[in-house]
Amino acid sequence: MFNIDFNKIPSLLSFDLNDPLLFSSSLFLFLFFFLLIFYRLFANSKNASILLLITFSLYFYYKVSGLFFLLLIFNAIANFYFGKWMWNAAGQVQKRGILILSLVFNLGVLGYFKYMNFFLEFASNIHGGSFDSIDIILPIGISFYTFKSLSYIIDIYLETIRPTNSFRDFSLFVFFFPNILAGPIDRASKFLPQIERDYHITRNDIAMGLMLIMMGLVKKIMIADYIGLNFIDRVFEVPLRFTGVENLFAVYGYTLQLYCDFSGYTDIAIGISLLLGFKLMENFNYPFKAKSISNFWRRWHISLSTWLLDYVFRPLQISFRYLGIVGNVASLIITFVLIGFWHGGSWAFIIWGLLHGVYMSVGLITSRPKLNIYKKLKLTNTRLLGFGQIFLTFNLVAFSFLFFRADSFKTATNILHQILFFFKPEVFLQFAVGYTPTFFLLVFGFLFHFLPSSLFDRSVIILEKTPFVIQALLLSIVIWIVLQVQYADLQPFIYFQF
Amino acid sequence: MISNKLTSVICDELNLRTDSVEINDNTEASEVPGWDSLNHANIIVAIEKKYGVRFKGLEILKCKNIGDLQKLVESKTVESK
Repeated sequence: MFNIDFNKIPSLLSFDLNDPLLFSSSLFLFLFFFLLIFYRLFANSKNASILLLITFSLYFYYKVSGLFFLLLIFNAIANFYFGKWMWNAAGQVQKRGILILSLVFNLGVLGYFKYMNFFLEFASNIHGGSFDSIDIILPIGISFYTFKSLSYIIDIYLETIRPTNSFRDFSLFVFFFPNILAGPIDRASKFLPQIERDYHITRNDIAMGLMLIMMGLVKKIMIADYIGLNFIDRVFEVPLRFTGVENLFAVYGYTLQLYCDFSGYTDIAIGISLLLGFKLMENFNYPFKAKSISNFWRRWHISLSTWLLDYVFRPLQISFRYLGIVGNVASLIITFVLIGFWHGGSWAFIIWGLLHGVYMSVGLITSRPKLNIYKKLKLTNTRLLGFGQIFLTFNLVAFSFLFFRADSFKTATNILHQILFFFKPEVFLQFAVGYTPTFFLLVFGFLFHFLPSSLFDRSVIILEKTPFVIQALLLSIVIWIVLQVQYADLQPFIYFQF
Repeated sequence: MISNKLTSVICDELNLRTDSVEINDNTEASEVPGWDSLNHANIIVAIEKKYGVRFKGLEILKCKNIGDLQKLVESKTVESK
């Protein structure tokens, strides 16, 4: 009855660079289904269920990263002992020494894999010599799990948490497969206590988990991959072949693509975690509804922005506190340049971060005068003002992502040139007709984003009351529809490269 | 217990009426209207001025809530006496 091809088993267990295990692949969904069954069966034994999760997480990481899983294990061992050692240190000087040591270790490993070529090129440019890049493969997810481990160490240093005595629990925190590749960058203080709790999921958790998985698949495969491959990539490749209309839509489209790709991944990560009984931190909260850049950063990649807020911005701001507004501006610029640099050793990311630092600083300096102007013009709390703020914020964000996406500064300026000096409004209709599915998905994607968030909550409540069989059927239908729309091979998630 | 003096420094800095906000030991900064990450430094400087003390950076970063801040202020004022 079942035709099992045993020859395929070795390939299931081995690493293939060209065939990583993606959340959106049918193999992953299949394996996850069996993981859930065994996890449920082992629910009465904490040790067995946690060891199952750790084993699956390491297998998952091995499937996407090969032997780099050894580096991951090394990271967990080192940080587990750094944490213990720091907590038991006799005085503040010793604690500080251990903190510096752990920072050197974590950032040193990250720096070697991620920034070595950038620094070498920078150094050779200063000396005027030639530069041959070193062939270094970036271990996938290293920025995410390094930041996760660092938050544990820094929190112990700040005495906001106590180190765990269980290497088993700490390993699960570092290895946890749903968030290891692209976040959310969870905090140990929120995650570790969940391991000790008994496995218990409510009907609401199941409904929310399924809803998020379905949303994530639709966002990633139906919207992000489709508009990326069929339209945005083409425009960004040769912008001068298109008018300002297509270029503008490509810039807006990329902003939507990045959001759908990254938040789609996060939705699936949070959804599958919920089914395993873990609540991961929120990473996106309708970012294009933001009325200011500071509000945008409370809605976009929240786990990274709060990480840098807690561990970079706050210490800097406190150190510069006697400088008044200059201190705040300096702290903002440094923090946002680091947010850019976190994405990779490239000037494009640094410019992108700097741009956001400048946006934030201008927002801070003009916050009082702006309020006075709104008051004088009687615009305070009006819909018109709200719409204007959302529109402006979105355009500032889209402009910054232009530098994030373009493969060179020249491409970015070509796109801007086309939008500003070769804008042919009459092409709009041709675009809508020529790229109908893309146009439809762009409109659908943005409209969907601006629907009231209560609609999502209500849908979860309806799903919660739906019988399990119907829930499973619904999930199957969504997977089937998504597979029909799937245009080509599965595209890796954009944030895997960071 | 949060002293009236500390409550009034915080409220003055945030343009709040002291009777419009309830601050207790467990209140976190984010729960006080207007206390956000950008004006955090101004509030700390205002407290230092009012009490004539100087905090170390790490001491402020370790404060989880206003109760911790009250204890920090008290420890500093005792030290200066």
